[in-house]
Amino acid sequence: MVNSKPCHAALKPSSCVRSKPCRRLYHSYEHERPPPFAPTESRILSAALSHVPTHGFATAALIQGARDAGYLDVSTNLFPTGPFSIVNYHLVTQRLALAKDAPSTNDTANNISENIRTLALRRLHANKPIIHRWQEALALLTTPAHLPTSLRELALLSDEFLFLAGSTDVTSTWYTNRAGLAVIYASAELYMTTDMSKDFVETEEFLTRRLAEGEKVKGLVGGVGAWAGMQAGGLVDGLRSKGIWI
Amino acid sequence: MSTPTFWRTSAHLSRRLIAAKQPYRCLSCSVRLAQELAQEQAKQDAKTTHFGFEHVPESEKESRVGAVFSSVASSYDTMNDLMSLYIHRLWKDRFVRSLNPGLHPTTSSLPSSKPTPQTILDIAGGTGDIAFRMLSHASTINNDHTSRVIVSDINPAMLSEGKKRSLETPWAGSERLSWVEANAEKLHMIEDESIDLYTVAFGIRNFTNKQAALSEAFRVLKPGGVFACLEFSKVNNAVLNGAYKRWSFGAIPLIGQLVAGDRESYQYLVESIEKFPSQREFAGMIERAGFMLPEPPWEDLMGGIAAIHKGVKPV
Repeated sequence: MVNSKPCHAALKPSSCVRSKPCRRLYHSYEHERPPPFAPTESRILSAALSHVPTHGFATAALIQGARDAGYLDVSTNLFPTGPFSIVNYHLVTQRLALAKDAPSTNDTANNISENIRTLALRRLHANKPIIHRWQEALALLTTPAHLPTSLRELALLSDEFLFLAGSTDVTSTWYTNRAGLAVIYASAELYMTTDMSKDFVETEEFLTRRLAEGEKVKGLVGGVGAWAGMQAGGLVDGLRSKGIWI
Repeated sequence: MSTPTFWRTSAHLSRRLIAAKQPYRCLSCSVRLAQELAQEQAKQDAKTTHFGFEHVPESEKESRVGAVFSSVASSYDTMNDLMSLYIHRLWKDRFVRSLNPGLHPTTSSLPSSKPTPQTILDIAGGTGDIAFRMLSHASTINNDHTSRVIVSDINPAMLSEGKKRSLETPWAGSERLSWVEANAEKLHMIEDESIDLYTVAFGIRNFTNKQAALSEAFRVLKPGGVFACLEFSKVNNAVLNGAYKRWSFGAIPLIGQLVAGDRESYQYLVESIEKFPSQREFAGMIERAGFMLPEPPWEDLMGGIAAIHKGVKPV
């Protein structure tokens, strides 16, 4: 397949030095996405992730992961961002996992908000095994050096939710929907770290409330926008009738 | 308002530029000339290599580099401080800290696995700058008192300078620190797959055949071992580059003349920096030797004046 080949020299973007598949900048229904991590990296990182419940998001987990994959302690130099690479691995793999059993395109048309809720819940539940360590991950994610990567990943996740839920908006709401959903998801994730209820039912309720509020705000903003547009049009027409050339 | 003057000046300038151009030459002549030049170039490339801006026979480079470093060994540290305004110390600290040598304390206490002490090979590390930092980091940061460093250098004068300096460190005479006189392209005294971490700081640009040295590094490293290189590189910012070139070609040979009494050696130094491949090319060379590159493959220090390259040998 085209994607599994290393990128063509003439088309190499600046980030492609090595013979790794390039990142693709568009979505294709026909071809699978190229894997986000090289085989060795994903072997070490997935092994490291299994040590997170005991060691936390720390260098110790990364070193244990390297050893499990048959590498040396010093091989962790493959990951210049250190423990943050485990966090990033978790975020990327879980985001891509959402697509595997997403609601089929047939039942998307009628209930996008319900689909979004299901997807967001499924993604939150993927944090269950490491939830007691997730605050360490949040600390790493909000470190200034890693902030651009974290925000990008959050935007991609929000986009994935809306895409899989079947949203096809192409107006300015494309941006507001994604920004709003990103804020709601991030706050739910933070809420979950202190949620002691059985099977995280409180987080579920929290998420449902926030999404309902979001819908309300969207309606309100839409209404205010329509009203403001109407008024502006009226004002322009009024001024024109007074002979002002607008 | 200044437009007429501007036009006059630029018209004058362009006339001068056009006049300065070479006269018209027919296509067939220029093609023949280009072919001749290319052949000459190919003939030269077969036998010679860079020594700064000069072309010298490959067999000669080793001895000429040797002469440079024998000449500068005694004033090496003072000169490094003066030339880099003490910044080379920060770069070396950053290099060692990012490598995190030594066994990690939390993992070495785990009952499940018994880690073997690390063996670190510091190539072109004659004065021990990197070696002492490695041992210090392993001992004080990771509380690892078993890992050892082998310092290798082609130049006996630099090695004896390092040995002299090691007397002031806690590792003088201990088995954690050893010295080898060797050419980095032929490390026959080092066994295959015996090294955890191979480092070369400000050395690789003096090697006659860099690719051969990289292959040799690949041979001596254990699977999963790390190749790490700190070297002068290409500055990304044009303004900074201008200032930096001014400093390196203007001030450094002068400092060399005044402090070390040796202008030629320091002229060679700045020329060899200029001749060293860019970050991207060098990362390609590391990958060609068989290493996996991290993402991003290198780290620029001070906008690319120096860069840290790493590669991991696949298992």
